Amino acid sequence: MSYRLTPLRIGAILAALIAVVPLVAVLVTAAGQPGDTLTAETFWRYTRTSVALVLLVGGGTACLGGIAAWLVALHDFPGRRLFSWALVLPMAAPAFVVAYGYASLFDVAGPIRTAWRTAFGWDPPLEMRSLWGAALVMTLAFYPYVYLTLRAALISQSSSLAEAARTLGLNQRQTFMRVILPLARPALAAGMALAAMETLADYGATSYLTVQTLTTGVVRAWSVFYSAAEAARLALPLLATAAVLLWIERAGRPATSETGQARWRELPRIRLKGGWGWAATLYCLILIGLGLILPLGWLASLGWRADNELPRLIEAGRNVLIVGAVAAAFTGGLATLVALGTRQGRFLPRLLSLGYATPGAVMAIGLLAPAGIIWRAFPSTVSSFLMAITLLILAYASRLMAAALEPIDAGLQRVGRSVSAAARTLGETEAGVARRVELPIASGALFTAVLLVFIDVLKELPATMILRPFGFDTLAVMADYYAKDERLGEAAWPSILIVLIAIPAVIWLTRRVSHSRPGDRT
Amino acid sequence: MIKRLSTAALLASSVLVAACQPQATETASSQADCVPSTGGALNLYTARHYASDEAIYAAFTCATGIAVHKIEFRAPELLARLQAEGASSPADVVVIQDAGAMGEAANEGFLVPFEDATIDARVPEQWRDPQGRWFGIARRARIVAYDTQRVRPEEVDDYADLASPRFRGKVCVQTSDAVYNLTLMSALIDRWGSQRALEWARGIVANMARQPQGSDSDQIRAVAAGQCEVAITNHYYFLRMAESDDAADRAVTEHVALAFPQINGQGSHFNLSGAGLAAHAPNRENAIRFLEFLTGPQAQGIFATETNEFPTTTEATMPEDVAAYSHHAADPLPLPAYAEHRAEAQRIFEQAGWR
Repeated sequence: MSYRLTPLRIGAILAALIAVVPLVAVLVTAAGQPGDTLTAETFWRYTRTSVALVLLVGGGTACLGGIAAWLVALHDFPGRRLFSWALVLPMAAPAFVVAYGYASLFDVAGPIRTAWRTAFGWDPPLEMRSLWGAALVMTLAFYPYVYLTLRAALISQSSSLAEAARTLGLNQRQTFMRVILPLARPALAAGMALAAMETLADYGATSYLTVQTLTTGVVRAWSVFYSAAEAARLALPLLATAAVLLWIERAGRPATSETGQARWRELPRIRLKGGWGWAATLYCLILIGLGLILPLGWLASLGWRADNELPRLIEAGRNVLIVGAVAAAFTGGLATLVALGTRQGRFLPRLLSLGYATPGAVMAIGLLAPAGIIWRAFPSTVSSFLMAITLLILAYASRLMAAALEPIDAGLQRVGRSVSAAARTLGETEAGVARRVELPIASGALFTAVLLVFIDVLKELPATMILRPFGFDTLAVMADYYAKDERLGEAAWPSILIVLIAIPAVIWLTRRVSHSRPGDRT
Repeated sequence: MIKRLSTAALLASSVLVAACQPQATETASSQADCVPSTGGALNLYTARHYASDEAIYAAFTCATGIAVHKIEFRAPELLARLQAEGASSPADVVVIQDAGAMGEAANEGFLVPFEDATIDARVPEQWRDPQGRWFGIARRARIVAYDTQRVRPEEVDDYADLASPRFRGKVCVQTSDAVYNLTLMSALIDRWGSQRALEWARGIVANMARQPQGSDSDQIRAVAAGQCEVAITNHYYFLRMAESDDAADRAVTEHVALAFPQINGQGSHFNLSGAGLAAHAPNRENAIRFLEFLTGPQAQGIFATETNEFPTTTEATMPEDVAAYSHHAADPLPLPAYAEHRAEAQRIFEQAGWR
């Protein structure tokens, strides 16, 4: 097929450029002058820690999220309909907020270990500031990724294969192990890949829990030696790993199939009787309790005792709402252009996704370089509020484009190619097909994308920190400052506000995922 | 749809302009309640983020009518932004609570030397950059919090004591990339030489009660909880806990006290919050007025009252709890040494296995 530059494709390329520029800047920075840096031995220690953490969180999320999805999708028990969306709620809490809660709750001088020592006379080995603690915290923060993807795969699986297996003499357990689970395995892998990517790129939670990974190492190289080049070089293995994980995640997507809809019937749900049903209920309750209610509740009790700067909080909240909304709409628009313009190619979307999986500190380095070119070219705009906000929104777009691209892309996949082709034969232009056929069908996915970007802007730290204009705070920035200043009570206020703002968005997202699947009527 | 989206984005951004612009001027005018804001403005890049500083900005605007526009960064980000902005930078004044990072800013050419008789008269030479590019505005001591029931103060009157077998398994301390550990190590390298500094770091690692973790306050709490007998900490965290509204924090300080160990018998290690004039300051006059204001009795008093830091000037009034410690001598480390030894300090920490 010959490749023509249609207006749509030009738009897609321009939009993609915004996301690619910082990545290129990271590579260019990495090629810069060598400086003082960490020793090879330290580098390998960080690498080992990163690998161990990713394996633990990958395994942990697979177990916790996997069991939750299996229970909710294939069983009936008290509260199932409520849990089907409530289990996603911990997604509203940024990992660093969960880390604040757990670190303080399980500190040697915290309430739990103090009470234990008073009662039993010895100190329990419950240290959250450790590899195991970090693995626990991040498993609780990231299990919803596995839960969401696996549950979606299970409820969209048709019962016909399972029924065939039963007719061929397999019992219930065998059917699950040999038919249902293998069919859902790509989704499980995709969810784990997402959790692993988040773990790898995390700075806030890992650094607060004093676990030294490659990502915290990048920041250390930068903050101790002031060498952006060395920091960027340390980040290269992270980028490579992220690329592999992304490939896994993409491969886990169900291929668009043109068959099956007519004969489709949902998998039957097994009713859990008596104690087993209540055990399932208890499991879901514990998961939500540990992932959201315990850490947030403890933070709230700390915040209650601490002062708060209410006017500043309100201003920061308002800032992030406005900028988040604009950035989300803008990023959603750009991602739509990319998705429409690259419906044949797969390379560009993959490349853009890399920005999402790149640690924030590294992206900050990559964003600063192009921003610097603009600042130097137009010196009069440097102190302009609008200019800074524009740069910040562009930065969010380049960091979060992939988050928007994924659902939009998936939404467009549902528009069969034959449908678009039919519209073209009826005389529509390429842009006309996009406007009158493809986008209306994918409009739900578009809104999902915008919400995802909005939630991410709420939690975003490094780009905000380095590019913001004078007098501009966000909730995440405030939380970080208070936490760094060892005032966890004050940090609790903005942290809780972030969660409260994110919760409605997360609920809407979950319900949307449910409705988009044929099998779920909750 | 695309058109509608972009219209929405346009609309939203105009809301943004409408919502945020008036706010900016509002803040500026509300700060200038006492004097009409006729003195223009001042752009501040600061790595500090304390209530004390807000009080100082307000007092400055009150006294001069100059509005303070600020961005708070972490130190490496502040330096990176100055680097990226180059000659276009709008920054007038740079403030960082670490002498090492101030020295780095000066060495990178982000600060410009200036002569000012007022500042020279107020700030002793020890707390001024020899090349006149920056000076200290507040001091923080990196010292020891100890368990008063198990440690006698004379057991910790030298930093070397902390590495001695007396404290095997009894020391709590942060990770090595905590800037205050880095400057302490820089000081030891300068005063003792690299070899002895490395041996000291090895001694500390051998003495650690647990892997380095948590904040300075967490170290003090760990002493109170009995996990360790001594902790390396900055002084103001202890003072803040002692005067906290939180009864649990106050209880922590009941059996914990501060000791001021010495280096070579000459004094304790202090880090500085520094201030300097940005190399391309567009509001130079206002910047210098602000820098002078920071060394004035009012601002120095606010640092001591609000953040429990020690003043760098001689005539500031301090609250009692800060004044009680202010007689401790400071190790006479030349200011450039803070930045000079940083890379080596990190290497020594790594060599010693101090995470």
